Amino acid sequence: MDNRRAATAADHLFRHEAGRILARLTRLLGPRYFDLAEDAVQDAMCAALETWKFHGIPLTPEVWLMRVAHNRAIDLVRANRRSQKLLNKIALDPTAGIAAAPPEAHLQSTAPHDDCLMLMFSCCNPRLATNAQLALVLKALCGFSLDEIAAAFFVTPSAIEKRVTRAKACLKRAGSLFNLDNPREVVARLGTVHQALYLLFNEGYHSLRADAPVRDELCHEAIRLAQLLDADLATRVPATDALLAMMYFNLARLGGRVDDEGVFLALPQQDRTRWDQQLIALGFWYLDASATGGQLHRFHLEAAIAAEHCRAPSLAETDRRRILELYDLLAATAPSPIVGLNQAIARGQVEGPAAGLGALAKLADAPLARTYPFFYAAVAEFSLALGEHQAAISAFERAHAMARSPAERCFYDRKLRQISQRLTSA
Amino acid sequence: MADFLYLYRGSERVNAALSPQQMQDYMQRFQGWIASLTKAGKISSCGPLATGGRTVNGPTAEVSDGPYAEAKDLIGGYTVLSASDFDEATDIARGCPFLNVGGIVEVRLVLSVK
Repeated sequence: MDNRRAATAADHLFRHEAGRILARLTRLLGPRYFDLAEDAVQDAMCAALETWKFHGIPLTPEVWLMRVAHNRAIDLVRANRRSQKLLNKIALDPTAGIAAAPPEAHLQSTAPHDDCLMLMFSCCNPRLATNAQLALVLKALCGFSLDEIAAAFFVTPSAIEKRVTRAKACLKRAGSLFNLDNPREVVARLGTVHQALYLLFNEGYHSLRADAPVRDELCHEAIRLAQLLDADLATRVPATDALLAMMYFNLARLGGRVDDEGVFLALPQQDRTRWDQQLIALGFWYLDASATGGQLHRFHLEAAIAAEHCRAPSLAETDRRRILELYDLLAATAPSPIVGLNQAIARGQVEGPAAGLGALAKLADAPLARTYPFFYAAVAEFSLALGEHQAAISAFERAHAMARSPAERCFYDRKLRQISQRLTSA
Repeated sequence: MADFLYLYRGSERVNAALSPQQMQDYMQRFQGWIASLTKAGKISSCGPLATGGRTVNGPTAEVSDGPYAEAKDLIGGYTVLSASDFDEATDIARGCPFLNVGGIVEVRLVLSVK
């Protein structure tokens, strides 16, 4: 875990630069030539690999890559039938004066907005299913291969290929990348972008596959992309800061969520010394930054809930009343099955296990109760607190049957063993 | 000691199959391998070869454009290194990270007058 945590941006130079260059070329050529841009990027990456593996990375690798990819794009455009029109498009951009301009000039985009940010908005098209949006974001902006996206989402590469193909087709229909200068359009699309990044983070955070290092990567990528939103005045809104706050609070606790064998740990068993205080500090920084404007976004509430957990020196000292209040607010602003479940758990922790079971019983007919193991895990914990061992056992068994990963199954196995030990020793 | 020439064959085919992250991981492993051999004083010269090129043919010195081999066999780079014998040169080649990504290392002895 610590080694993975120590991974810095330099370890993802190729991936991140692939995304940046692709975004730049797509902006210059237009989304219709996305495939050509992808080819140019791939060729530049191969050239870099071949040269750098013998001679080391140059002082400014991003300049090197941008120049090679740009030249390669010009070559590919020349081979294209419509070349003259396209060549003009590249030539119109002052950064395209490759030969004449000093190398640093290639890094200075003349566009008022970050290329990646523009491409991100184009990828998050509400006409696409969210999973297709995310697949394209990971492919185009994060430099993931189809196989790597498939591994991250635990689906087959061919399923991912279909999603990416669909998403690319949608992207290519646009005449240009998303226009961030139109405030009305930005406001209309920002919610979709926020939601995509939120889900990207959660995909990593909740995957419960401690054996998959890609889990952390998804969280880090979501944060990196959210920071692009925060770096542009057009998209730095309080909800963006709240989203970042929530991500940092949760990322800070990621290391504490599993034990050394990769088994999921419930909050009471987590070792708080493994929570990353630097990341928690960043969370509070963004939480403060988000506290402006009159709108209370659900990200504000989710960040505030995570903040309460991070703030508490121990489980016993957690302000459970405050957390319940926040969940009540969240359920009122953005009701969802998961929020309902967490609200019920929070109620039980404030008003006692019987109240918790009562709140959970109201959710028993929801689809969530048929598919989500945590629902039964919660029922089991409250039953246990009331001394109803048989009810706890059967609830844990149902959770076990629904478990989505070996780590999760192992967690319920442990719980069941603990109960039976308690029963035999009593 | 004798000089040996390593020819790395199939770079284009190999690279096309790697994701950017895999490229970077492989690059770092290869750099480490080259660095350790350089530190041990084994390598006298090494480098990548650009694709394409020219061939100059026969008495008329006719010039034609390469490449002339199949892409899977193209030489992407070379290394000249010294080893005590063919076995040592082969053993060193066995440790080359290029193999892990599906490449071929051709080991050739440079003949000398002795």
